[in-house]
Amino acid sequence: MVDARKVAVTAVTAGLCLPLALFAIILVPVPGLPAASGFWIPAGFYFVMTLWFGVWGALGGHIATFLAMGYFQGFTLQVWADGALGDLIAPLVALIVFKLMGAHPDLKDRKDKMAWLIGVPIASLVCGLWVHTVNLYFGVITWPFWWVGVLTYFIGDSLAVFIVGTPLLRSLTSYVKQSPMYIWRD
Amino acid sequence: MEKGKVRTFFTYVDERYALVRAHPAVKIVSLVVLNVIPWIIEAPVPLASFLTSLLLAAALLKAPLSKLRNYLPYLLLVAQAVVLSYVLGSRIPGNAVYIEFPWGCYVTDRTLLYMASVMLRISSMLVGSTLIFLSLRDTDVVYGLKSLGVPFAAAFAFNLALRFSALFLDDYARVRDAMLLKGAKLDAGNPLERAKLLSRTAVPLMVIAVRRMQDLSFALELKSFPPSGKRTYLHQFRWSRFDVAALALLAATTAGVVVAKMVSPLLSFPGWPFA
Repeated sequence: MVDARKVAVTAVTAGLCLPLALFAIILVPVPGLPAASGFWIPAGFYFVMTLWFGVWGALGGHIATFLAMGYFQGFTLQVWADGALGDLIAPLVALIVFKLMGAHPDLKDRKDKMAWLIGVPIASLVCGLWVHTVNLYFGVITWPFWWVGVLTYFIGDSLAVFIVGTPLLRSLTSYVKQSPMYIWRD
Repeated sequence: MEKGKVRTFFTYVDERYALVRAHPAVKIVSLVVLNVIPWIIEAPVPLASFLTSLLLAAALLKAPLSKLRNYLPYLLLVAQAVVLSYVLGSRIPGNAVYIEFPWGCYVTDRTLLYMASVMLRISSMLVGSTLIFLSLRDTDVVYGLKSLGVPFAAAFAFNLALRFSALFLDDYARVRDAMLLKGAKLDAGNPLERAKLLSRTAVPLMVIAVRRMQDLSFALELKSFPPSGKRTYLHQFRWSRFDVAALALLAATTAGVVVAKMVSPLLSFPGWPFA
């Protein structure tokens, strides 16, 4: 059931990530890959939002990516299927890793840190596989270029999530715990 | 604002552009159809005909075609990605081999034809989607999605996201100015270093976001969101003959393309006249 809190999480996450995604595309563009960025700053934000607030945070990241990449690509079907769906899947994978390992997003104990260190690369890899398989399907890249795309995506996305997301989780999780939208209970 | 101009998503367009006055549902359906048709067609000549028809229809509807120039750099970016990938990394058999590489990939006449098809497909999606978005106002998102049966809460959240992005742009500017006043050099270094510096704005922005999220959820709850009774709307959009005709044309074109793809090789690669 959709309620006011869930709508607030989705809308604010999307609103926050949208300008950051535009900056990321303008500041660190990747030659050869349209509307891609070598340092996907919003990923750090929507990974964190998803770990704090669940699926609705991931949905916000999805909307932001769709709109930001769409601004450069004219809102095409490929944009939606490619980057936007990939960016919905990635934070959800990280959330599932945290749930399966019984970890918490405040990164206090060893289990939490392990879940973060394992979850982010797995999520980036799944997202990279998705994005470049869709690119391959739409004919934008060929099979020999597929693994190059997956590898660069895996490294670039993981790096951005670790650099932006780690300080956010470590410094703000205790503050966010006071929010009624926070999904983890000790 | 200039006289005779209408504010749409990213720009002002001439109010004579017929799609601006169309029912919001027609705009949303057009967006889907104009992306699905080039996705179904594989052959270069039908794709080129589709793109030409699209541009002619846009000119007839008085669409601001000059705005498409903003997307030319993007098309060039896609073109170089497609050319690089197909020239260096494809094996498409054809009638004549032009270049052969030591790693087993080669370029034939069919490689060039396939590259042209991919470019025409992406161009058709880009031109079609851009022309629709140039006519789309922010209220159209809520009203269009709602008239197509999407729950009001989902349409409302999508619209809210767009409005919040403008607020966060202001917040980002404020945080950046505060950092600059404290001596931070956000424009120093290569693009990656600049991006890392930009990411230092993360913590203050996130605090603002969490506070705003709570304020918004309280405001929505006070307004009894999601509405339990029958909701009324500020604007009323009536279906005109133009809207009904446009929807019928879109449905007939989609059905025609699907049937043609299934029963003849015309739309499959390489298609007429290369098959």
